[in-house]
Amino acid sequence: MNTHHKTNEDLRAELAQVEAAKADPARFAVLYEKYYKPVFVFVYRRAGDDAAADDIVANTFLKALLALPRYEYRGVPFSAFLFRIAMNEVNLYFRKTKRERHVSLQQTDLGAMITETGETDSDERRRLLMRALEWLKPEDMQLIELRFFEKRSFAEVGHICGMNETNAKVRTYRILDKLKKQLIRSGGW
Amino acid sequence: MTKYSFHINPNEPGEDRINRQKDFGRVMQNYQRMTHPLYRTPLYRYRKVFLSLLLVLLCVWLVMEFGDEEATQKNKNADSLKNDSVKTEGLP
Repeated sequence: MNTHHKTNEDLRAELAQVEAAKADPARFAVLYEKYYKPVFVFVYRRAGDDAAADDIVANTFLKALLALPRYEYRGVPFSAFLFRIAMNEVNLYFRKTKRERHVSLQQTDLGAMITETGETDSDERRRLLMRALEWLKPEDMQLIELRFFEKRSFAEVGHICGMNETNAKVRTYRILDKLKKQLIRSGGW
Repeated sequence: MTKYSFHINPNEPGEDRINRQKDFGRVMQNYQRMTHPLYRTPLYRYRKVFLSLLLVLLCVWLVMEFGDEEATQKNKNADSLKNDSVKTEGLP
Protein backbone atom coordinates (compact mmCIF):
# COMPACT_ATOMS: atom_id res chain seq x y z
CA MET A 1 0.00 0.00 0.00
CA ASN A 2 1.44 3.41 -0.89
CA THR A 3 0.96 6.80 0.74
CA HIS A 4 -1.95 7.73 -1.55
CA HIS A 5 -4.13 4.92 -0.22
CA LYS A 6 -6.37 5.46 2.81
CA THR A 7 -8.43 3.26 5.08
CA ASN A 8 -12.21 3.53 5.28
CA GLU A 9 -11.96 5.16 8.73
CA ASP A 10 -9.61 7.81 7.34
CA LEU A 11 -12.02 8.51 4.51
CA ARG A 12 -14.98 8.78 6.90
CA ALA A 13 -13.09 11.15 9.22
CA GLU A 14 -12.09 13.24 6.25
CA LEU A 15 -15.64 13.36 4.95
CA ALA A 16 -16.75 14.75 8.33
CA GLN A 17 -14.13 17.51 7.96
CA VAL A 18 -15.39 18.27 4.45
CA GLU A 19 -19.01 18.48 5.67
CA ALA A 20 -17.92 20.82 8.47
CA ALA A 21 -16.13 23.02 5.93
CA LYS A 22 -19.24 23.07 3.75
CA ALA A 23 -21.22 24.45 6.69
CA ASP A 24 -18.50 26.90 7.75
CA PRO A 25 -15.78 27.79 5.21
CA ALA A 26 -13.42 28.82 8.02
CA ARG A 27 -13.19 25.14 8.96
CA PHE A 28 -11.58 24.44 5.61
CA ALA A 29 -8.38 25.42 7.44
CA VAL A 30 -8.00 21.81 8.67
CA LEU A 31 -8.02 20.47 5.11
CA TYR A 32 -5.76 23.30 3.95
CA GLU A 33 -3.19 22.40 6.61
CA LYS A 34 -3.45 18.72 5.78
CA TYR A 35 -3.16 19.01 2.01
CA TYR A 36 -1.06 22.10 1.40
CA LYS A 37 2.17 20.12 1.14
CA PRO A 38 0.88 17.29 -1.14
CA VAL A 39 -0.80 19.81 -3.44
CA PHE A 40 2.31 21.98 -3.54
CA VAL A 41 4.53 19.00 -4.37
CA PHE A 42 2.01 17.84 -7.02
CA VAL A 43 2.08 21.26 -8.70
CA TYR A 44 5.81 21.81 -8.26
CA ARG A 45 6.61 18.51 -9.98
CA ARG A 46 4.68 19.69 -13.03
CA ALA A 47 5.28 23.43 -13.14
CA GLY A 48 8.97 23.27 -12.23
CA ASP A 49 8.90 26.95 -11.37
CA ASP A 50 8.78 28.39 -7.85
CA ALA A 51 6.65 31.47 -8.45
CA ALA A 52 4.26 29.65 -10.77
CA ALA A 53 3.81 26.84 -8.24
CA ASP A 54 2.88 29.36 -5.51
CA ASP A 55 0.26 31.02 -7.73
CA ILE A 56 -1.21 27.74 -8.94
CA VAL A 57 -1.48 26.35 -5.40
CA ALA A 58 -3.16 29.53 -4.13
CA ASN A 59 -5.69 29.38 -7.00
CA THR A 60 -6.26 25.68 -6.39
CA PHE A 61 -7.29 26.16 -2.77
CA LEU A 62 -9.43 29.19 -3.56
CA LYS A 63 -11.26 27.32 -6.33
CA ALA A 64 -11.63 24.26 -4.08
CA LEU A 65 -13.25 26.41 -1.41
CA LEU A 66 -15.59 27.98 -3.97
CA ALA A 67 -16.50 24.56 -5.40
CA LEU A 68 -16.88 22.88 -2.00
CA PRO A 69 -20.71 23.11 -1.87
CA ARG A 70 -20.81 20.99 -5.06
CA TYR A 71 -18.36 18.37 -3.74
CA GLU A 72 -19.73 14.83 -3.56
CA TYR A 73 -17.98 11.88 -1.97
CA ARG A 74 -17.15 9.21 -4.58
CA GLY A 75 -15.07 6.74 -2.60
CA VAL A 76 -11.74 8.47 -3.19
CA PRO A 77 -9.85 10.75 -0.79
CA PHE A 78 -10.65 14.47 -0.76
CA SER A 79 -7.14 15.00 -2.09
CA ALA A 80 -8.29 13.65 -5.48
CA PHE A 81 -10.74 16.58 -5.69
CA LEU A 82 -7.90 19.00 -4.90
CA PHE A 83 -5.51 17.33 -7.35
CA ARG A 84 -8.14 17.52 -10.08
CA ILE A 85 -8.46 21.27 -9.58
CA ALA A 86 -4.66 21.56 -9.37
CA MET A 87 -4.30 19.60 -12.61
CA ASN A 88 -6.72 21.94 -14.39
CA GLU A 89 -4.83 24.94 -13.04
CA VAL A 90 -1.51 23.48 -14.24
CA ASN A 91 -2.99 22.86 -17.71
CA LEU A 92 -4.33 26.41 -17.78
CA TYR A 93 -0.89 27.71 -16.86
CA PHE A 94 0.77 25.81 -19.73
CA ARG A 95 -1.90 26.89 -22.19
CA LYS A 96 -1.34 30.52 -21.24
CA THR A 97 2.44 30.52 -21.06
CA LYS A 98 3.15 27.94 -23.82
CA ARG A 99 6.11 26.80 -21.74
CA GLU A 100 7.77 23.41 -21.78
CA ARG A 101 5.98 20.86 -19.60
CA HIS A 102 7.96 19.60 -16.65
CA VAL A 103 7.95 15.83 -16.02
CA SER A 104 9.52 14.51 -12.80
CA LEU A 105 10.26 10.82 -12.42
CA GLN A 106 12.53 8.28 -10.76
CA GLN A 107 14.75 5.94 -12.79
CA THR A 108 12.94 2.99 -11.24
CA ASP A 109 9.58 4.26 -12.58
CA LEU A 110 10.76 3.56 -16.11
CA GLY A 111 11.70 0.04 -15.05
CA ALA A 112 8.21 -0.48 -13.62
CA MET A 113 6.67 0.69 -16.90
CA ILE A 114 8.81 -1.71 -18.93
CA THR A 115 7.86 -4.61 -16.65
CA GLU A 116 4.19 -3.65 -17.01
CA THR A 117 4.46 -4.13 -20.78
CA GLY A 118 5.66 -7.71 -20.19
CA GLU A 119 9.27 -7.04 -21.18
CA THR A 120 12.44 -7.32 -19.12
CA ASP A 121 13.98 -4.12 -17.82
CA SER A 122 17.32 -2.90 -19.19
CA ASP A 123 19.20 0.40 -19.44
CA GLU A 124 18.83 0.45 -23.23
CA ARG A 125 15.06 -0.06 -22.97
CA ARG A 126 14.78 2.73 -20.38
CA ARG A 127 16.63 5.09 -22.72
CA LEU A 128 14.36 4.19 -25.64
CA LEU A 129 11.25 4.51 -23.50
CA MET A 130 12.30 8.01 -22.44
CA ARG A 131 12.56 8.99 -26.09
CA ALA A 132 9.19 7.48 -26.89
CA LEU A 133 7.56 9.37 -23.97
CA GLU A 134 8.45 12.66 -25.65
CA TRP A 135 5.87 11.89 -28.33
CA LEU A 136 2.97 11.44 -25.95
CA LYS A 137 0.09 13.91 -25.94
CA PRO A 138 -0.22 15.94 -22.70
CA GLU A 139 -3.41 14.12 -21.63
CA ASP A 140 -1.69 10.73 -22.12
CA MET A 141 1.40 11.91 -20.27
CA GLN A 142 -0.85 12.94 -17.35
CA LEU A 143 -2.15 9.41 -17.01
CA ILE A 144 1.35 7.93 -17.15
CA GLU A 145 2.61 10.43 -14.58
CA LEU A 146 -0.23 9.73 -12.17
CA ARG A 147 -0.12 5.98 -12.49
CA PHE A 148 3.58 5.14 -12.90
CA PHE A 149 5.50 8.17 -11.62
CA GLU A 150 3.25 8.89 -8.64
CA LYS A 151 1.89 5.36 -8.11
CA ARG A 152 -1.76 6.32 -7.64
CA SER A 153 -4.67 3.89 -7.76
CA PHE A 154 -6.74 3.76 -10.96
CA ALA A 155 -9.75 5.08 -9.00
CA GLU A 156 -7.77 8.17 -8.01
CA VAL A 157 -6.22 8.56 -11.47
CA GLY A 158 -9.73 8.42 -12.94
CA HIS A 159 -11.10 10.97 -10.50
CA ILE A 160 -8.24 13.40 -11.13
CA CYS A 161 -8.58 13.08 -14.92
CA GLY A 162 -12.39 13.22 -14.89
CA MET A 163 -13.16 9.63 -15.91
CA ASN A 164 -14.15 6.43 -14.14
CA GLU A 165 -11.74 3.80 -12.83
CA THR A 166 -12.28 1.38 -15.74
CA ASN A 167 -11.72 4.08 -18.34
CA ALA A 168 -8.54 5.19 -16.59
CA LYS A 169 -7.28 1.61 -16.60
CA VAL A 170 -8.18 0.98 -20.25
CA ARG A 171 -6.65 4.24 -21.42
CA THR A 172 -3.44 3.72 -19.44
CA TYR A 173 -2.91 0.26 -20.93
CA ARG A 174 -3.70 1.55 -24.42
CA ILE A 175 -0.99 4.17 -23.99
CA LEU A 176 1.45 1.48 -22.83
CA ASP A 177 0.50 -0.63 -25.85
CA LYS A 178 1.01 2.33 -28.16
CA LEU A 179 4.43 2.98 -26.65
CA LYS A 180 5.40 -0.68 -26.99
CA LYS A 181 4.31 -0.82 -30.64
CA GLN A 182 6.21 2.35 -31.39
CA LEU A 183 9.35 0.93 -29.82
CA ILE A 184 9.00 -2.38 -31.66
CA ARG A 185 8.56 -0.49 -34.97
CA SER A 186 11.70 1.53 -34.26
CA GLY A 187 13.55 -1.78 -33.86
CA GLY A 188 14.94 -1.05 -30.44
CA TRP A 189 12.67 -3.18 -28.28
CA MET B 1 5.16 17.15 -30.74
CA THR B 2 4.67 18.47 -27.21
CA LYS B 3 7.81 19.71 -25.54
CA TYR B 4 8.66 18.09 -22.23
CA SER B 5 11.61 18.57 -20.00
CA PHE B 6 12.29 15.37 -18.07
CA HIS B 7 13.77 15.54 -14.60
CA ILE B 8 15.04 12.22 -13.35
CA ASN B 9 15.37 11.70 -9.59
CA PRO B 10 14.63 15.39 -8.81
CA ASN B 11 15.02 16.82 -5.32
CA GLU B 12 11.76 17.42 -3.49
CA PRO B 13 11.28 21.05 -2.35
CA GLY B 14 12.18 21.64 1.30
CA GLU B 15 9.68 22.41 4.08
CA ASP B 16 10.74 26.07 4.15
CA ARG B 17 10.19 26.43 0.44
CA ILE B 18 6.80 24.70 0.61
CA ASN B 19 5.53 26.82 3.50
CA ARG B 20 6.82 30.14 2.17
CA GLN B 21 3.46 31.17 0.68
CA LYS B 22 1.23 29.08 2.93
CA ASP B 23 -1.42 31.45 4.29
CA PHE B 24 -4.97 30.32 4.91
CA GLY B 25 -5.94 33.87 5.96
CA ARG B 26 -5.26 35.10 2.43
CA VAL B 27 -7.32 32.28 0.92
CA MET B 28 -10.24 33.19 3.20
CA GLN B 29 -9.86 36.87 2.37
CA ASN B 30 -10.03 36.14 -1.38
CA TYR B 31 -12.94 33.79 -0.78
CA GLN B 32 -14.86 36.45 1.16
CA ARG B 33 -14.17 39.02 -1.55
CA MET B 34 -15.51 36.66 -4.22
CA THR B 35 -18.56 35.49 -2.34
CA HIS B 36 -19.55 38.55 -0.31
CA PRO B 37 -22.92 39.67 -1.71
CA LEU B 38 -23.23 43.14 -3.19
CA TYR B 39 -26.02 44.26 -0.91
CA ARG B 40 -23.98 43.77 2.26
CA THR B 41 -21.34 46.25 1.17
CA PRO B 42 -22.10 49.96 0.82
CA LEU B 43 -22.82 50.69 -2.83
CA TYR B 44 -20.24 53.48 -3.07
CA ARG B 45 -17.51 50.84 -2.51
CA TYR B 46 -18.23 49.49 -6.00
CA ARG B 47 -17.33 52.52 -8.08
CA LYS B 48 -18.42 51.12 -11.44
CA VAL B 49 -21.80 49.90 -10.20
CA PHE B 50 -22.36 53.14 -8.31
CA LEU B 51 -21.54 55.34 -11.33
CA SER B 52 -23.65 53.21 -13.71
CA LEU B 53 -26.61 53.44 -11.36
CA LEU B 54 -26.14 57.19 -11.06
CA LEU B 55 -26.07 57.49 -14.85
CA VAL B 56 -29.27 55.44 -15.22
CA LEU B 57 -31.03 57.58 -12.60
CA LEU B 58 -29.88 60.75 -14.35
CA CYS B 59 -31.23 59.48 -17.68
CA VAL B 60 -34.58 58.59 -16.10
CA TRP B 61 -34.80 62.04 -14.51
CA LEU B 62 -33.94 63.79 -17.80
CA VAL B 63 -36.55 61.79 -19.72
CA MET B 64 -39.19 62.56 -17.13
CA GLU B 65 -38.29 66.23 -16.93
CA PHE B 66 -38.17 66.94 -20.66
CA GLY B 67 -40.92 64.48 -21.44
CA ASP B 68 -43.22 66.39 -19.05
CA GLU B 69 -42.23 69.74 -20.48
CA GLU B 70 -42.97 68.58 -24.00
CA ALA B 71 -46.34 67.19 -22.94
CA THR B 72 -47.34 70.40 -21.17
CA GLN B 73 -46.19 72.38 -24.19
CA LYS B 74 -48.37 70.22 -26.47
CA ASN B 75 -51.34 70.62 -24.13
CA LYS B 76 -50.85 74.38 -24.09
CA ASN B 77 -50.77 74.51 -27.89
CA ALA B 78 -53.88 72.36 -28.13
CA ASP B 79 -55.71 74.61 -25.64
CA SER B 80 -54.76 77.79 -27.47
CA LEU B 81 -55.90 76.28 -30.78
CA LYS B 82 -59.23 75.31 -29.21
CA ASN B 83 -59.69 78.81 -27.80
CA ASP B 84 -58.89 80.34 -31.19
CA SER B 85 -61.44 78.13 -32.94
CA VAL B 86 -64.08 78.99 -30.32
CA LYS B 87 -63.42 82.67 -30.88
CA THR B 88 -63.64 82.40 -34.66
CA GLU B 89 -66.89 80.37 -34.50
CA GLY B 90 -68.80 83.35 -33.00
CA LEU B 91 -67.76 85.77 -35.75
CA PRO B 92 -69.97 86.39 -38.80
